Amino acid sequence: MFSSPQISRASAGVLLFAFSGLSMVLAKPAADKSADQAGIDFFERHIRPILVSKCYECHSEAEDASKGGLLLDRESGWLEGGDSGKAVVPGNLQASLLITAIHRGDEDRAMPPKQEAALSDAEMKLLDQWVKRGAPGPADDIGDTEFSRLGDQTFIFGKAEDHWAFKPVDAIEPPKVDNPAWSPSPIDRFVFAKLVKNGLTPSPKASPRDLTRRLAYDLTGLPPASAVDYQKSSRDYVDELLDSPRFGEHFARMWLDVARYGDTADTYRPDTKTPHYYPYAFTYRDYVIDAFNADKPYDQFIREQLAADLMGVDERAPELAALGFLAVSPKRSMSADFIDDVIDATTRGLLGMTVACSRCHDHKFEPIPTADYYSLYGVFGSLERAAPMQSGGFPVIDGYERGEEEVADYEQKLAVIQKKIEEAGEKTGKGNNRSLAEALEETELAELLLFHDGAPARAMTVKERKNPIDSFIFLRGEASQRGEQVPRRFLRILDPDQPAFASDNSGRLELANKIADPENPLTARVFVNRVWGALTGSYIVDTPSDFGLQGAAPTHPELLDWLAADFVAHGWSLKHLVSSIVNSRTYQQRSLVRADIGDADPENRLYHRGKLQRLEIEEIRDSILAVSGQLDARMHGRAGLLLEGDYTKRRSIYGYINRFNLDPTLRAFDFPSPNQSQESRNESIVAPQALFTMNSAFVIDQAKALVDGLDFQADTTREQRIEAIYQAVLHRSAEEGEHTRINRFADIEKGRKVNPWPLVAQALFMSNEFLYVD
Amino acid sequence: MHSSLFSRRNFLQSVGTGFGAMAASDLLAAVDQGSVAEAPLAPRNPQFPAKAKRVIHLFMNGGPSQIDTFDPKPELAKLDGKPLPQSVLDSLQRTQKGRAGSIWASPFKFQRHGQSGLEISELFPNVAKHADRLCVIRSMKGEIANHSPGLLLMNCGHSVLSRPSIGSWALYGLGTESEDLPGYVVLMPSGMPTAQSGNWTSSFLPGVYQGTHIETNAKNGELIPNLTRDDIRFGTQRNQMLLTNFLNNRHRNRHPGEERLDSRIHSMELAFRMQSAATDTFDLSKEPQSIREMYGDTPVGNNLLLARRLAERGVRYIQCYHGAGQPWDSHSGLIPRIKNLTGDSDQPIAALLTDLEHRGMLDDTLVVWGGEMGRTSTIQKGPKKVEQYGRDHHIDGFTVWMAGAGVKGGTTYGSTDEFGLAVAEKPVLVHDLHATILHLLGFDHKRLTYRYSGRDFRLTDVHGEVLHEILA
Repeated sequence: MFSSPQISRASAGVLLFAFSGLSMVLAKPAADKSADQAGIDFFERHIRPILVSKCYECHSEAEDASKGGLLLDRESGWLEGGDSGKAVVPGNLQASLLITAIHRGDEDRAMPPKQEAALSDAEMKLLDQWVKRGAPGPADDIGDTEFSRLGDQTFIFGKAEDHWAFKPVDAIEPPKVDNPAWSPSPIDRFVFAKLVKNGLTPSPKASPRDLTRRLAYDLTGLPPASAVDYQKSSRDYVDELLDSPRFGEHFARMWLDVARYGDTADTYRPDTKTPHYYPYAFTYRDYVIDAFNADKPYDQFIREQLAADLMGVDERAPELAALGFLAVSPKRSMSADFIDDVIDATTRGLLGMTVACSRCHDHKFEPIPTADYYSLYGVFGSLERAAPMQSGGFPVIDGYERGEEEVADYEQKLAVIQKKIEEAGEKTGKGNNRSLAEALEETELAELLLFHDGAPARAMTVKERKNPIDSFIFLRGEASQRGEQVPRRFLRILDPDQPAFASDNSGRLELANKIADPENPLTARVFVNRVWGALTGSYIVDTPSDFGLQGAAPTHPELLDWLAADFVAHGWSLKHLVSSIVNSRTYQQRSLVRADIGDADPENRLYHRGKLQRLEIEEIRDSILAVSGQLDARMHGRAGLLLEGDYTKRRSIYGYINRFNLDPTLRAFDFPSPNQSQESRNESIVAPQALFTMNSAFVIDQAKALVDGLDFQADTTREQRIEAIYQAVLHRSAEEGEHTRINRFADIEKGRKVNPWPLVAQALFMSNEFLYVD
Repeated sequence: MHSSLFSRRNFLQSVGTGFGAMAASDLLAAVDQGSVAEAPLAPRNPQFPAKAKRVIHLFMNGGPSQIDTFDPKPELAKLDGKPLPQSVLDSLQRTQKGRAGSIWASPFKFQRHGQSGLEISELFPNVAKHADRLCVIRSMKGEIANHSPGLLLMNCGHSVLSRPSIGSWALYGLGTESEDLPGYVVLMPSGMPTAQSGNWTSSFLPGVYQGTHIETNAKNGELIPNLTRDDIRFGTQRNQMLLTNFLNNRHRNRHPGEERLDSRIHSMELAFRMQSAATDTFDLSKEPQSIREMYGDTPVGNNLLLARRLAERGVRYIQCYHGAGQPWDSHSGLIPRIKNLTGDSDQPIAALLTDLEHRGMLDDTLVVWGGEMGRTSTIQKGPKKVEQYGRDHHIDGFTVWMAGAGVKGGTTYGSTDEFGLAVAEKPVLVHDLHATILHLLGFDHKRLTYRYSGRDFRLTDVHGEVLHEILA
């Protein structure tokens, strides 16, 4: 009742009498100094020492701790209290949680938590006395600080009003620059102006050879197809690369990092020690490839990934596979962790907002109250998921042709497995109570479906629940601790009125529309920043999945806005975006480190030069296959093993990704964990990377195949051989010094009766000229 | 697709402007994510002088029975065969409650050992000789009484979500002192433990901090992926390496100022050395016969001997699993099973402690022994004959011991109640154990953080208290 401000005057009078301490607080402003001083002295002499020794460890700024949202190093801290309520209500022992906690009536809520640290009777008495006399605070109270405001959503929302990323995208006119070469492209004008402002000059254009290689890798993830490519004008070559189906295969990988793609769940069957397979995940990967190749508008791409099933598409439409963005979650079953994962992938991936941090508490740094988390929880909690092996749960989709022979072979193998499953009947495994039939389904059958080209292709979809839910807020993230119920709606910072989604379903399409809204200040900015970073080697916003108050500030805010506005104005076209970036002088600069720049721009954040980029593992693998003439260019379909055993020779994008047990070679090359949405890749240099190029069967095989393919004859001279290998791997002639050195190598190996040529080809695979692109 | 590598200078600048309030001492204490990105495995100083330079974690996967090994309950003899009091039964977890049979006092004898008089059962006669070096924590508490969540909690600090393992954190904080071996190695005689590579994942930490899983029973040369090739001789490969170096040096000369290329050239050389160093490290025939015999030429013996060889060469974090799956999981037939398990491991563990001590390495090597949980003091319902008796999973009061660097030997910490079914004194959460291990490695667990997804993550999340009482 004390929390109610409407206490009648009459009863208040009685209460004042009963709790004399309260009168002091109410009267505080007018109280005479000596009474005040007595309270302060009491606090400093008796109370502060107890708080310091028993409470500060978890509840003070000095210890960098405010457990349960409670601070006890300042008056406002105990008066406002923490997550459980007010710690101290002056004059009221019963209402003061601090008092009930120290008396340890309920051991679960007792403080300090450890019994050994319990307060002595004398200490308890002092605290009782203190609260009774109105809980006077210190004279030099520290009041509100940056620290105490962590999680103070009102304060954070205030701060967020001035945050660049939440303001509308500004259609800024690019500045005028007095350099003709840097004038035609608006991008260049922004970059050039900033360079000038910092007293820097740009670098000259890259050589045609370097630029050709750079474009080929950045747009397709492969080296130029042949010597002819080096003759083309860069503009024509860009158009050609954008039209190549290799473009979608390459850019899909960037997206699959964000979408945490994998062909299994992140758990496995304990009895069979096999991962929980997702036999139909691949149709999502193919959807992404096709979307980028077809230049599907990005807003459409978003809508389909969140809500293709609500958009009136045909029941066999390939677009249904877009729902893999949700359904291919590493979390296999419909659970709070699944919902958390899709909230995280959706908000960090599409909006650059770390909403998943608000699962247990209001966000400490960002304008994201827990209520927002549970609004989205309602949306994704209103889904139904079929079990990965429940084939009836997933629709067969168009766009996959199966050869007759493949189908026949598949059906024959299927029949064998089905017979086994039937025979297993109700039987359970030895020493456990798991169904044998289920084990067979999830292992043999799943592997058949996952790897066999004759199996039907299905979209891994989600469905609507019959009755959508509005979630309760789970206090501290615990389902048993229910707070208020919140409607399904969008985030408050982006949609201040927060009307509840009107539809009678989960509201996914409305959510998608809110995200894909051209007025949404984040969506286009986040995406163009991803693409810009992928192409230039450095992001405008260096935290690509965090555009919040804690995220990095943009190096070129005007450029970012111009790119975002231009992207939306051109129908959210990825190809337009890529084309305008790679045709800029900014992108086309030479990559050499410049001595004249000194320490002015060590990380090239101002783009005073191009980049020297190490190939990613997919590019290394695909390049080795390509230059050896071994690349199998078939698109789409089931995954193959990347490096082990009977590995596939298709592009790495078609490689099998076992989330539970990721290939160590991928790991060594900074392939990011597919268990969370990933914003970028590291670029580490460690010995296992070198061991892969030195000793792996994959690399050794391709080096041999390359030399076999060159078809050397007995009369092929050494010079011709060296030349042929150089042309194949590096698309250039060997220089004189290289000829001499390789001749020496060949002499020694010939003396050892070793065929030197595959080893020479492999040495080129290991060379930095092959592994780095200027 | 690359994030720009951020330099130390840049890091300091952003700290300078972004977190103006951060005290200089905090700045020095924090791990510099920027310099980590450039040289992820270079040795780094901890936040304060450390007692332990490295850890060997002997993982008894499956969950060893504490009341048959290190937590004696002599009073249970009187209650043997009787049902549990209803109130105790009610306090068990639901799954265990349904399966809990009568009380089963340990069929094994305990004796006091060493000057400390630490009580250890007859199952560990050799380890018992080291009683004065062991600090036995009897009050460990888990979260979920099953293997996968237990393993993940013990290794990564979270029962469900994917988080970086403690070895990854250690490597991130300290780098490695071994130039030609991986810094975090997970040894298994063969196969994988339950929860597989989830146990040594680096999760959101950079991939270089992931544990390297090695099956020590595998053929030499297959221990580390791509370690060697056998189709050409060493001399030929060296010749090829020299050729590659020649090419790379020419390329480097055309790229003045690109220091990354030096790192890459260096890593090639390191990889080349690693081929022989790793091969040499894993070649146990290089050990004198007396040492081989001390450990025993068995899968567990060889595993632990390899652990010592790795520790000697500067590897930061070494885990030795007992075997594939969950070998210590004794739901039935506990007596023959635990005799085998302790028979396999008693001599090698004692040998490891002796060996480390002889080499002066026990002073700065922390040895941790334990599983992902313990077992009940009751029979798991079912069998009639004592040889078939087994014990169920149990997480409220299991045992972990530590020995070596910085811990008080010959001591116990915490206790369980008379039934051995609940912590009676000084509960120790797995987070507390982690905080203590990090403390021994020279880190404040609250300050060993990594910024990911907008948050500073740490191994102990929002938990963890260092067990100061057990520190020497």
